[in-house]
Amino acid sequence: MAERYDLAIVGGGPAGQAAALALQGHGLAVAVIDEQPHPGGQILRQPPREFGVTGWMGGKVYAALRRQLGQFEALSGLDWLGGRSVLGLSRSSDASFVLTLSGRSGVETLRARRVLLATGCQDLAVPLPGWTLPGVYAAGGIQAFVKSQQIVPGKRIVLAGTHPLQLLIADQIVAAGASVSAVMFAQSRQAMARLLAESPLVAARQASALLPAGAAMARLRRRGVPVRFGESLLGIVGGERVEGVRSSAGETACDAVGLCYGFVPQSALPRMAGAGMRAAGPAGGWAAECDAWQRTSVAGLYAAGETTGVAGAAAAQCAGRIAGAGIALDLGLLAPGAAERRVAGVRRAHAKHLKFAALLDRIADPTGHFPVMAPSTIVCRCEAVRLADLVSCLDGRSANAVKLASRCGMGPCQGRNCEPTLLRLLGDRADPGFSARFPARPVMLGDLAAPE
Amino acid sequence: MRIESKVERQAPFSLQVEGETLRAYPGETIATVLVERSPVIGHMANGDAQGLFCNMGTCCLCMVTILPEGRRVRACLTAAEPGMEIGLG
Repeated sequence: MAERYDLAIVGGGPAGQAAALALQGHGLAVAVIDEQPHPGGQILRQPPREFGVTGWMGGKVYAALRRQLGQFEALSGLDWLGGRSVLGLSRSSDASFVLTLSGRSGVETLRARRVLLATGCQDLAVPLPGWTLPGVYAAGGIQAFVKSQQIVPGKRIVLAGTHPLQLLIADQIVAAGASVSAVMFAQSRQAMARLLAESPLVAARQASALLPAGAAMARLRRRGVPVRFGESLLGIVGGERVEGVRSSAGETACDAVGLCYGFVPQSALPRMAGAGMRAAGPAGGWAAECDAWQRTSVAGLYAAGETTGVAGAAAAQCAGRIAGAGIALDLGLLAPGAAERRVAGVRRAHAKHLKFAALLDRIADPTGHFPVMAPSTIVCRCEAVRLADLVSCLDGRSANAVKLASRCGMGPCQGRNCEPTLLRLLGDRADPGFSARFPARPVMLGDLAAPE
Repeated sequence: MRIESKVERQAPFSLQVEGETLRAYPGETIATVLVERSPVIGHMANGDAQGLFCNMGTCCLCMVTILPEGRRVRACLTAAEPGMEIGLG
């Protein structure tokens, strides 16, 4: 690792890879930082090199992403900084950025003239009675175990929520040899069908994106996995671990639950850097605002992919390419006309993917389907703050003020889990949420005091 | 449960979790070793049992201690190593 780079890309998923590939051949010193040891992002979270996995992520739906990953891994002259978290992002006096990283061996800093944030998204955490019982996972967490570590964290799994991705996850769990007790959609099938019918052109043009969910549902049905609609979660039950779920249709026994109500952007770093943000979508969260070249409101800071709004891997790839061309343009490596010609086709594809993402947002919209919390339901898991502890604070105060009064959002996750819930409870659309604080990820004080 | 079909693993090694000897395969994260043992991976601030949640480094609920150095790490991002001693919070 060098100390200075022309460009630091945070995130080695589809957007970060695409930007690095778009910038190859320009002689830039580029570092790509990722919390995972290997590139791929969550969508192609790779198995460890020590494993041999036959036919890994072999589906057609992943083919373009796998191709790009192969090209990225073959890039030379790029510093891959895997296994590192970015704790902080700030400006230094010479207008370059300082990134504070932490890894297995401690804290490091690097400087970069430009930074591209391609940090992806996370599962929306949805509190409901019993959701802190061991065995309740973010659905994406279960999927990552299956894709990468090649385990299934349970023998009989219930997936519940509003996002169609849970069909694909259930299909992957069944293919891995575990059993799915039920897939529960809170919304009705008719409501989902109506939305598709209202946007027939978008749906038809993006049939290839819809087909995997349909095929997964057909396979699940053939295997006898119940896929039910209009079934809301009331609670998760068990002693010291999950034993079942209670839903509007009754009780279902299981030993693990995947909650799948949608996704929110990873927003800690753009917020810490002071970039302009917007409300991300129906699932909540904050997205970095960008111009047509993926520039944020902070000079020299770019964002691409789900950090700018959850729109899927194909849209992220497009945005990464546009960001790459934009960075080349801003560094004087490409003339405006050449930059625009390079991305003309990409912009058209990007717009198409964003239209489909907007339709998927409406289909998966969790608003109105969030489970009802009990007074004892924990909202902030880090600090074990219950809904009952918050109620007295919900008197028009800001999220920051509630944090000070209740400790909600004060733990190591920096509010990533509880902020969307608290903002829903506050009901104030103008509240910008918690102030983003250093460190974006937990770190040992000793490591900060004595960096390498 | 570890997926057996179409997956080849190398020879396993052993490590300690709360003094209990467990088996792990090269490449596995501490989170995998813990979840294969039990969904309970520690305790919350109120004393209730804690499970793993996001498995991608974001929720920070899977912090464990590597002994004897005392380093706190997220189990889902940290590879298990032969002879490792892990304490649960």
